[in-house]
Amino acid sequence: MRKLSLAAWVWVLIAGLAVFELVAHPLIRAATPSDDSWEAASDFIRTRYEPTDRIVAAPSWIDPIVRHHLGDLLSLRLAAPSDLAGIERVWEVGIRGATTRAETPTIEEHFGRVRVRMWPISTDEVAYDFVENVAQAQVHLVTETGAKTCPWQDAPPARGGLGHGPMTPLRRFVCDPRRPWLWVGATVLQDLELQPRRCIWQHPAGTDPVRVIFADVPLGDRLVVRGGIDYNSERQRIHGPVTLRVWINDRLAGELDHRDGDGWSGIDIETAALGLKRGEIRFETTAEDPSARLFCWSASTRKGPGDD
Amino acid sequence: MIDARSLKGRDHLIGVGLCLAYVLLLFATASDLAMSRDESFYVHAAKSYSTWLSQLFSDPATALTRDSIDRAWAYNWEHPAWMKLSFAWSWLAHERWGLFPNESLAFRFPGMVTGGLLLWLIYAWGASVMRWQGALFAALAFALMPRVFYHSHLACFDVPIAFFMTLTAYAYWRALADRRWVLLVGLAFGLALATKHNSWMLPAIFLIHFSWIRWDEARAGRLDRASIAWLPSMLIIGPLVLIGSWPWLWHDTWRRWASYAAFHLNHVHYTYEYFGVSYFEPPLPISVPFVMTLFTVSLTVIVLAMLGLYGRRAELRPPWRTDPGEAKASRTEVLWLGCLLAPLLAIALPSSPIFGGTKHWITAYPFLTLFAGWGLVAISERAELDVWRGHRWPSWTFAALCLLPGAAETAHSHRFALSHYTPLAGGVPGAADLGMNRQFWGFTTGSLTEWLRGRLPEGGSVWICDTTAGAWAMLQKDGIMPSNIRAAASMSSADLVLVHHEAHFNEVDYQAWVAFGSVRPVYVLRYDGVPIISVYENPRAAAMD
Repeated sequence: MRKLSLAAWVWVLIAGLAVFELVAHPLIRAATPSDDSWEAASDFIRTRYEPTDRIVAAPSWIDPIVRHHLGDLLSLRLAAPSDLAGIERVWEVGIRGATTRAETPTIEEHFGRVRVRMWPISTDEVAYDFVENVAQAQVHLVTETGAKTCPWQDAPPARGGLGHGPMTPLRRFVCDPRRPWLWVGATVLQDLELQPRRCIWQHPAGTDPVRVIFADVPLGDRLVVRGGIDYNSERQRIHGPVTLRVWINDRLAGELDHRDGDGWSGIDIETAALGLKRGEIRFETTAEDPSARLFCWSASTRKGPGDD
Repeated sequence: MIDARSLKGRDHLIGVGLCLAYVLLLFATASDLAMSRDESFYVHAAKSYSTWLSQLFSDPATALTRDSIDRAWAYNWEHPAWMKLSFAWSWLAHERWGLFPNESLAFRFPGMVTGGLLLWLIYAWGASVMRWQGALFAALAFALMPRVFYHSHLACFDVPIAFFMTLTAYAYWRALADRRWVLLVGLAFGLALATKHNSWMLPAIFLIHFSWIRWDEARAGRLDRASIAWLPSMLIIGPLVLIGSWPWLWHDTWRRWASYAAFHLNHVHYTYEYFGVSYFEPPLPISVPFVMTLFTVSLTVIVLAMLGLYGRRAELRPPWRTDPGEAKASRTEVLWLGCLLAPLLAIALPSSPIFGGTKHWITAYPFLTLFAGWGLVAISERAELDVWRGHRWPSWTFAALCLLPGAAETAHSHRFALSHYTPLAGGVPGAADLGMNRQFWGFTTGSLTEWLRGRLPEGGSVWICDTTAGAWAMLQKDGIMPSNIRAAASMSSADLVLVHHEAHFNEVDYQAWVAFGSVRPVYVLRYDGVPIISVYENPRAAAMD
């Protein structure tokens, strides 16, 4: 047999490469999970789902598909959590071998090319979630002439769209109709990592505070506060800080000084030593320059070890 | 003398065949694609310009006043006029004679023609310097790039500028040896200038190439040196064509031209996801145009192009490393390499605005495929000599095999070309794993029309996210979307909300959650299993079902 020249070998290699490309693409497409697989995986979770369960997607880009099948089980709080507090089990719907946790799951089932895994997790018990109770708050806009009450009312929704920031909820505290961004209410923020965060929008008005007061709050062991600024504003890293002061029964308990680049971050305030079962919690936002400070925060009082 | 063979009738027959076949293919598949964002702006501009054109014939004195020109031409002043004028003429012809099945095709037709002509040109230039089989391969390899095929459908400037830049380079190359081409260099450059600002880089490429030729000639002691007449032709005729074809520049010329230049030199940055990072300000990683080319162009074609470059390495040697008289007079390889690298490097520069899409360096791809043609010819010729002497069919089979991956992927990617990635990236899901840009321009709404019609049989409203109102209106004019399904201005009042998936569009997803109090999309449009568009339904509309 005649020995092949280098040119002939290159010819064979390129022909092989073309064949590889031709074969690889159908194989990649064939690895796509079928609708039946998604349905079966969803049915499996649905029959075992508890209200304190969280459902996550792996890889994250399949999240819309997972929400299409199971989104009716998810509240905004569970879909856009500040952290895992109050969650007892994590269900993971995964494809392509992707996963969100390294530990061995308690449950693992395969439905075609979709894998379902479940882990029980140990987290803080939430005694009071401020976001979920925002309608019970009192909101004031402090000015040189005194504090003006912001009424809880139906107000025109925002149009939505890229760069428009978090959506205004239909019902919210409206502080100044001439400044449509000066409202307080529960929404979902796109944080610096593009992640969803269920939170209370409290755009600072300037050096005079926007004040939100929650009365008779069960305090628990800790008050956990997280906050962030809308992705489109925070990513620029050109604006000044926002300060969120937290007062418990008129005593300054903590101060979150949020600077661009911090992302979704915050403070933990120990409340066990205060010797109080309940108290009035006040949140005040200020900023030297309030322009483009689309600040949103979430907080809850917690019982438990704080290991989430 | 130029070291090229003259083209024969058969060459032009093949070129015309390529051109016509491609235009027909584009024509037949265009209605599958909703208009993109940019197209909708250019269509609006073309309509405005067509009003002025009509006035020019009916009342030229008034049309030529500054007021009339400004009224018609102020819209989309940031782009030159040539292609938008072509769209306008095509639409006027359609209005008068009903030439096209729908309005979109009337606007898109001139762009398709440039796509077809570009294949002819790639073939013609290739056939001038290599075996015609290699030239044919180059033209087909270009035609069968998924993203090129998509852009070739559009009433945009990206494939037209690829055509006019390649045409200018070809005319310049011919003009080096034949003075009859000198005026054509200026004219082609003018049309390139009048199409898109990518053309600004051409004089620099030509000057570098020309200096190599002159260096070669000096070292060889040649007396019949290449003429530099092309340069004044470009510098004089080019701007005249730009200004002559763009009435906006007929008044306040310098200030308006400076504004146009400043717009592009200080262009806004588009947010662009690359390996999981959403870049929104420079510098974009230098690797972007190279990696995106690797991930979106058939690897077989790229390897053949590398082989072609390697095979022609002797012609790429700098003058000081070439023996006097050894280099070919035209240094075609140097010119092609310049035209291949310049668009890629321009985007790779850390100071360049973030444009993102592969269309911004699409002008490089004709030269990539020409090198691939050279690679194919080189490897086939050697294999023919070594293995199957006297037979041609194995070479033809090989060429066809090398084109098949591009053809198969292009066919599959139609409707989703900007979301398409090759197996090197792991395909569409692999690219999603890697965190690569999913899409832009909102044209994928066209793939939802059937579902939307089924969901809203009695009509309704849709918040259309990245699709423009103009693009939506064109879907209605083309009869693809019923007129009673209208575009809603506000998400909260819409019956359905679309979210085009790109990482930085997550915000819009979250807005829909709050607006409707639900995180569950009623439908997710997928391509190879990867979400392209989520559709949310207003609970008010759902309750009425």
